[in-house]
Amino acid sequence: MQLEIKELHASVEGKEILKGVNLTIGQGETHALMGPNGSGKSTLAYTVMGHPKYQVTSGEILIDRENIVGLAPDKRVKKGLFLAFQYPVSVQGVSMFSFLRAAYNNSRPAGSEPPTIFEFKEVVAEKLKMLSMNDSFLNRYLNEGFSGGEKKRAEILQMALMQPKFAVLDETDSGLDIDALRIVAEGINRVSGPQTGSLLITHYQRILKYVKPQFVHVMFEGRIIESGGEELSRLLEEKGYTWIKGYREEEQVPPQTGQTL
Amino acid sequence: MSQASLSSFNEDLLRSISASLAEPSWLTDVRLEAFRQFISLPSEKNPLYTKYSRTFDIALDRFKLARDRTEVDFRSFFTGYLTGTESDILLQGNETQVHAELSRDLASKGVNLMSFHDALRQEEGAVRKLVEGRLVKSETDKYAAFVNAFFNCGTFVRVPRGVVLEKPLRKMLLLDSPRTSVIEQTFVIAEEEARLVYLEEQYSKGTPSPAFVASTAEVIARPNSHVDFSSIQLLDDQTTHLSNRGIEVSNDARATMSSLSLGASVSRSRTNFYLNGRGSFAEGFEIFFTDGKQRYDYETNLVHNSPDSTGSTQARGVLKGESQSIFKGMIKIVNAAKNSRSYLAHHAMILERTARSDGVPSLEIDNNEVKATHSASVAQIDEEQLFYLMARGLSPDEAKKMVVLGFFEPVLSRIPIEQTREGARFMIEGKWHEEKRRLVDRETLLAATGELTPEVKESEDIFERHYKYR
Ligand SMILES: Nc1ncnc2c1ncn2[C@@H]1O[C@H](COP(=O)(O)OP(=O)(O)OP(=O)(O)O)[C@@H](O)[C@H]1O
Ligand SMILES: [Mg+2]
Repeated sequence: MQLEIKELHASVEGKEILKGVNLTIGQGETHALMGPNGSGKSTLAYTVMGHPKYQVTSGEILIDRENIVGLAPDKRVKKGLFLAFQYPVSVQGVSMFSFLRAAYNNSRPAGSEPPTIFEFKEVVAEKLKMLSMNDSFLNRYLNEGFSGGEKKRAEILQMALMQPKFAVLDETDSGLDIDALRIVAEGINRVSGPQTGSLLITHYQRILKYVKPQFVHVMFEGRIIESGGEELSRLLEEKGYTWIKGYREEEQVPPQTGQTL
Repeated sequence: MSQASLSSFNEDLLRSISASLAEPSWLTDVRLEAFRQFISLPSEKNPLYTKYSRTFDIALDRFKLARDRTEVDFRSFFTGYLTGTESDILLQGNETQVHAELSRDLASKGVNLMSFHDALRQEEGAVRKLVEGRLVKSETDKYAAFVNAFFNCGTFVRVPRGVVLEKPLRKMLLLDSPRTSVIEQTFVIAEEEARLVYLEEQYSKGTPSPAFVASTAEVIARPNSHVDFSSIQLLDDQTTHLSNRGIEVSNDARATMSSLSLGASVSRSRTNFYLNGRGSFAEGFEIFFTDGKQRYDYETNLVHNSPDSTGSTQARGVLKGESQSIFKGMIKIVNAAKNSRSYLAHHAMILERTARSDGVPSLEIDNNEVKATHSASVAQIDEEQLFYLMARGLSPDEAKKMVVLGFFEPVLSRIPIEQTREGARFMIEGKWHEEKRRLVDRETLLAATGELTPEVKESEDIFERHYKYR
């Protein structure tokens, strides 16, 4: 099974942001996506998840060869897709507990009996423990008043409950302290087994120490302009994006990177 | 001759109501004076609000008022909600009290839960004093005057000095007559150091012709007493709802008024809190959810007449379809009321562009050593929140429902009466699914839904959060 993004063009409010993105993620694979601010990484994440503001003008998004472009976000969840938001939204008045339970029940295979409230409490307690989260989170409103790091942890908690086949993690490492980064990264590793393919959007190499990507891609102005192995992220960290941009403009291939898509 | 006196609501009708209830002549005179006010008053007195009054206009002439003694079938309407073994309850079918059950324990303590006219027969002197000194004065509002002139029933609740009630006293009205309407007066009195919880519910069966339920309520919290009043309005869409409430809070007394309004075609409500004693405390909650062509016109005023008084009112509403609401609120702090704190809020969520809501808050403050704030907003449902929830697998409808139910929570969760709080969630959710539900107790709720919505308690002090002065 694969998540395939083919020649994807997408615009927001009439402005084209994604200008032909190609990317294939297989089960069990971890891909990192890097690129300067405003290059379109979150736009890709939102478009894949089906945000109504992001219009696909051409191209395809396939899960297991089925085009999901016309599907509403909740239907994409049923296909096994998950997005950890760069900026998780807070919703006043909705308790974390009710929300997690709804998310859990809605991501389970069709026809399976939803767990009782007590069974669910056990499930969630175990995941909380894995992420070193206090269960007092459950009695708070959804993301309301959560610190930046707490929100990111809560996103991975949701991933752990929903057990997606393909996860897009949009800067889940941003705003985490050193310990939190390790805990969250370990959480990601534990949740994503050999069945999960993930796309890790990040600006920093530090998370890649814990979550090892097999592929690193660089996005620039709405396109993936470079792909390679883990060493590409190290080169980027050393030399910055102007370096890679320079290579592209001179139509040169940067040293030590193999595969280009 | 003015138009109103030509209508079916005329002096002859007034006299026949008073006579059929065998009222003493002083009460007929009180009604006649109210009738004069009713004729002369405009439907909206306050020039601040007159521009909105057309949308919420009420044509009283459409309605009939005849005595209707047909038996009302409570049993079938409340199957699954009432067992028939409840005590401390009063059931009223149309204008007639059909069942009153007060436990022996409460009766022996001198607690009253009875019809207004029974109270009048038993204690004419005391009732006369209450009527003549009433808070909902005829001259203040046309529809207060209307009820004071034409009331055809009423409820009287009193808890004597020092008596503390653990459980709510409950009054349920069921309107199911095509021939009549309900015009009622309610008196709720907590004597010194008494404690009482009163639940009032209004239902109608889907009357085939237009009817109305018009009421006044007088709530009197004597020194050191504590009254929690809750009112639930679930009338059908043929019914017009009119309400006028006055709440007087004495020294170190505490009164709350929690209202949930889901029904009626037009609903007009006026609530005035009078913080008349030092250290008095009053809190109001207005929760409403409208759809179709419903029109709600609400006003709540906090009148601080004494030092160290604390008042707050929070209104929260969600509007669907082509429904409309207006919430008017005023904080008035007189010069003598120093060290008082007051807060007024109105927040509405619009689900469709065809719905409309306005909030008109104002302040009138004559003392500088006070804290008074208001906050108001009217907003569309947040698309980003909906997307977030859908990205967690919720269908568009489930996502909307979750955001809407959540929107009520910050106010709903502060309602002090558990049964109202939990029941309100159940009924609002029912309205979302376009099914009519009724107020239930915890056991019935658990039996029906299997579990209760977990509550999030925000222990925040609203006065600390909103400290802006004026
Ligand atoms: N809803 C929107 N309305 C208008 N412009 C938008 C919207 N969403 C994205 N854009 C624009 O699209 C471009 C790409 O934004 P995007 O958020 O995808 O970048 P990014 O690569 O995730 O950046 P960062 O690293 O800062 O998170 C930006 O120029 C941004 O302003
Ligand atoms: Mg981004």
